Amino acid sequence: MPVADLEFPRSSMFERLAKPKPMLILFAIMWVPLTLYVMFGLDDVVLLPAIPATIALYFICLWAFRESTVALVGLSLVFFWLIMAVSAPYLPLLDPNKPIAPFATPWTEKKETFFVLGSDFKGRDLLSRMIWGCQRVLIWGVSATAVAYVVGTVFGLIAGYLSGWWDEVISFISNVFLSFPVMVLFIVVLNYLGPSGFNIVIAVTFASAPAIMRIVRGLTLDIKTRDYVFAAQTRGEHPLYIMLVELLPNVRGPLIVDACLRLGYTTVAITTLTFLGLGLQPPDPDWGLMIRESARVAMLWKFSYMLLVPALSVSSLILGFNLLADGLREISLRD
Amino acid sequence: MTKFLLKRILQMILIMLTASFILFVIFDTPEFKKRLAVQELGGFAVSALTDASYESWLEKKGLNVPFYERYSNWIGAVVKGDFGFSQEKNREVGPLLWDKLKKTGILAFWVFALMIPLSLVLGVLAGMKEGSLQDRSVSFISVFFTSIPEIATAILLTVFLALGLGLVPAKSAMISGFDWKALVLPVLTLVIYDFGYVARMTRASMAEVMTSQYIRTAILKGLPYRRVIMKHALRNALIAPFTIIVLQLNWLLSGVVVVEVFFEYDGFGKLLLEAALFPDIEVVQACTLVAVLVAVLSQIISDIGYTFLNPRIRFS
Amino acid sequence: MSNNRLHPKVKEAQKMMDDGRMDRRAFLRVATLLGVSAGSAYAMSGLVQPADAAGHGNMPFAADDPNAKAGGILKVGMDIQKMDDPATYSWSEMSNQTRHTLEFLTITGTDNITRPMLVDGWEASDDLKTWTFTIRKGVKWHNGDELTAEHVKFNIDRWMDPDLGSSNIGLSSIAAMLEDVGEKKAMVEGSVEVLDSHTIQLNLQKPVLSVPEDFSNYPTSIVHPSFKAPFSDNPLGTGAYELVELVVGEKCILKKKADHDYWGGQVYLDEIHYYDFSAENSLIAFSGGEVDTIIEFGVEQLEFAKAIEGTILTARTSQTLTLRMQVDQAPFDDIRVRRAFSMAIDNAAVKPLVYPEGGDIGANYHVAPIHPEHFDIPVPARDVEGAKALLAEAGYADGIELTIDIGNTDGPWHQTVVEAVRDQVKDAGITLNINVLPASKYWEIWDKTPFGATSWTHRPLGTMVLSLGYRTGVPWNETHFSNAEFDAALDEAEATLDVEERRAKMEKVQKIMQDAAIVCIPLFRPLYSIVNGSVNGVSMHPTKFHLFNKVWKA
Repeated sequence: MPVADLEFPRSSMFERLAKPKPMLILFAIMWVPLTLYVMFGLDDVVLLPAIPATIALYFICLWAFRESTVALVGLSLVFFWLIMAVSAPYLPLLDPNKPIAPFATPWTEKKETFFVLGSDFKGRDLLSRMIWGCQRVLIWGVSATAVAYVVGTVFGLIAGYLSGWWDEVISFISNVFLSFPVMVLFIVVLNYLGPSGFNIVIAVTFASAPAIMRIVRGLTLDIKTRDYVFAAQTRGEHPLYIMLVELLPNVRGPLIVDACLRLGYTTVAITTLTFLGLGLQPPDPDWGLMIRESARVAMLWKFSYMLLVPALSVSSLILGFNLLADGLREISLRD
Repeated sequence: MTKFLLKRILQMILIMLTASFILFVIFDTPEFKKRLAVQELGGFAVSALTDASYESWLEKKGLNVPFYERYSNWIGAVVKGDFGFSQEKNREVGPLLWDKLKKTGILAFWVFALMIPLSLVLGVLAGMKEGSLQDRSVSFISVFFTSIPEIATAILLTVFLALGLGLVPAKSAMISGFDWKALVLPVLTLVIYDFGYVARMTRASMAEVMTSQYIRTAILKGLPYRRVIMKHALRNALIAPFTIIVLQLNWLLSGVVVVEVFFEYDGFGKLLLEAALFPDIEVVQACTLVAVLVAVLSQIISDIGYTFLNPRIRFS
Repeated sequence: MSNNRLHPKVKEAQKMMDDGRMDRRAFLRVATLLGVSAGSAYAMSGLVQPADAAGHGNMPFAADDPNAKAGGILKVGMDIQKMDDPATYSWSEMSNQTRHTLEFLTITGTDNITRPMLVDGWEASDDLKTWTFTIRKGVKWHNGDELTAEHVKFNIDRWMDPDLGSSNIGLSSIAAMLEDVGEKKAMVEGSVEVLDSHTIQLNLQKPVLSVPEDFSNYPTSIVHPSFKAPFSDNPLGTGAYELVELVVGEKCILKKKADHDYWGGQVYLDEIHYYDFSAENSLIAFSGGEVDTIIEFGVEQLEFAKAIEGTILTARTSQTLTLRMQVDQAPFDDIRVRRAFSMAIDNAAVKPLVYPEGGDIGANYHVAPIHPEHFDIPVPARDVEGAKALLAEAGYADGIELTIDIGNTDGPWHQTVVEAVRDQVKDAGITLNINVLPASKYWEIWDKTPFGATSWTHRPLGTMVLSLGYRTGVPWNETHFSNAEFDAALDEAEATLDVEERRAKMEKVQKIMQDAAIVCIPLFRPLYSIVNGSVNGVSMHPTKFHLFNKVWKA
């Protein structure tokens, strides 16, 4: 019966892809509200469920990665910023966009306001800008990496599994993009589309997807000779089914380490592009913007805290991603 | 061998053609032409122009010809070695680009001169004794420094070395001639960001060599440890880092943009950013050609080098 | 020109001043406008000439300082752009690169008074439609040619070439010599007449008050008839300095022209060097001692500037940011929405947030307190409840969401203004979204967006900017404001030479503009620069003009 034939693999496909996994669900509860909040400016309330979810996820991950100290350190750094991001509206902070008292040095009081990390040239509180600033970096960084992965994986699966002309064309296109130095590509794409978070996603996709596609293609070429793929082919499954159900879950493992590293690169790229004026736009706080704005006013020893705060924040987040990647690699090598 | 080279060069030309074609299509849009007009005449003047006058301005600048025609003219000129004219700098692109490349070349030379010995020594030291304290500390240092983005390194160095201690100038515009001191910060920034990656690669390669049969045999035979390392292990362990180092050239072309902009160093990266923002299409085109050339050449060199250095691989 | 024939209005003005109906500074302006040399005007007014304004005879330069030392190199931090065609310059910075080589017919000084430069005087007909300029005798080009009326005509004709793209056609005086020919605008035959080798006459289609002011505008420098763009390839001028080296984006080197019989007397500096440190880094370069002065720095750098050694220079200007709405675009076609927006803002509270020092508070009409004809209409007090009521009446009882485009085209202060405004209008239920565009993108849409923040530069007279930006159908009318009553009132003001009388007429003009609520002008900004102790005679100009003829280095 043709109908049943179609029914069977479809339900199985969904079943296999959407097994209830507590970590994934927690991640979704944390991530979806934060994304909506940052991208579409939803109300503060949406972040309420995300706070416990993030903390719970942190403890689950701590337990899962307990074998590797390096991973734990990285995890803690990343989660520090994640918790800051989801709880920013509920923390006792000053308004990050409100000019209060300019050029207040850290740990001093000026105009009846106490500045823990000082204030910037417009008089906005640096502590609060630092904490709010991580939201945009995290959201756009992760979104951009995720989109790049979806695109790269789809093309990688196609190129690797279907081979032939598909492979030739896709590989050539990705070679074109890979021959551009990344920064050239970013500048050209963002200059054409105009600077904004969504366009950063597009630019990062152009820059990262070809490399991801290469990795997935290589993995696919290796896996597709395995018995279970052969079995699926003899069963007469549709290539789409084979790619999604048989191949995708098996290339996932090696990609996770790469994803952590790539998250780091993307964060660097967003901060750098914003510094160059091609990335996120003011007025909302962002680390790259803080650097951009301070670079012209704070070139004196006594004002240098304005530059150090965002520089150290972004470094700690990237260090977190890199240590996490290192730890994961260590764990996967031990298995 | 020749076949391999020909294939790569052919591929490179194809990539250059595709890339420059895409750029031409992008920069040929009416918005970009308008932006150029605003740069040239000012926003107030452009909006005072009638449509007919705007058309004649486009004609005067040679922008009203269909882009495929401009593109084929441009290709014809490039083949003859003429890279066109910079609207922004009012200068031939060829000499302009050459000037800036020389400056970036100086930067790159010192980056490599410092980065190669530093990362190789650290990598070899770490890889010699896998899992030891020295291995772990080198690994940590590498990850740590690779994690600090260039822009943050640039800030930290400026704040402490230039603003705090006053050892070197904060900016490297060098208006009154070349100044070694002004080169310190840009070079250090690039070295600090880059050495960790190469050191880790060297470490991996060294560690692999150390576990290989012939090194173990040599040590078991009772040869002095020092000699085994120097004579046998190093030669093989440095093959992989060599290819990595050559490929860093490509990375450097990206990395210099932010460093040159931050430190006001007038090189290739700053030129590229300014040209893209202007938009100065023929400069962007020329910069892209150079970038692709460097990228592909460094890939070819690293492939060939790897083959020559590694006797186990032969071209089929 | 000899001053034996005084324009009737000068006598009238002198009488008014003597009667106490006109202040002395206003008299200076009328008198110099009508062709009396600034020196004579100062004498007639009984004012002491400020050091900067004093001239020996009829010169637009300061008097020679007896302590001045000749020699030395002045290093200035400024954006270095290409020097293509001086008539199409789009920045004051560009004109500064040529200002010591190519000179102007007139020059507006740092005191906002316009003096003769390459001309030695002018005369206007009583109806202000015929203007006669006498060219200064003995002005030599670097190649030895003498400057003649024909050379000046060559330049004025050039500006009116519809295909050149010079912004000079937007000047009132030049626009008064243009007519529509097909799809383009071209010169009316016979507008520029050469009377003799050193006299030129302009025949305008309508009365224009600001002809001398227009000729000191930065794209109106006088080039030699042999001129061919780019200027940097053949830098032939009348000035005391010549261009030696230009590297766009890096440096522009000027050297005192040797063996040049310069008309303007002694100049002190041997060389003037301009160096480019992408805008925001100029002050950093200054603090490192790399340059002697910089073109300007932004208010965000004020604390930084105070912390380093040097003298901070300021200029009061009529430069401003207009938050302007297009009256034919919803929801701004409803005057209640526009009024509610203005009512929700306390202009006096915005200024200190943006410029804690210097600057003037605006009152939502485009005339600044430093303009001679400024009539002081106070800005209505902030009225949040009134704004809410108006919005409710207009159908926005639950508040309204507006988006403003800004480009920060001359610095991040635009954004500070808009942010301060955003925080204020929030109380009246107006959610103001700020859409920040890169400067180049903003210039593509500045006259097209329904709601934008455009920066307008300083112009010596208040009527000049009103004519350019708010008359029905003029090219730079970004608000699409069209009000016959306003146009007529402005015509009347522009035909009135007497400043007192003109000011009285400006009340109506300004009031109409304020009531129409087409723009919100919270402030007029000051300019800042800095100079080190070894340099004498540098002052800040309201349009950033550099005139270093009498500057010397200790």
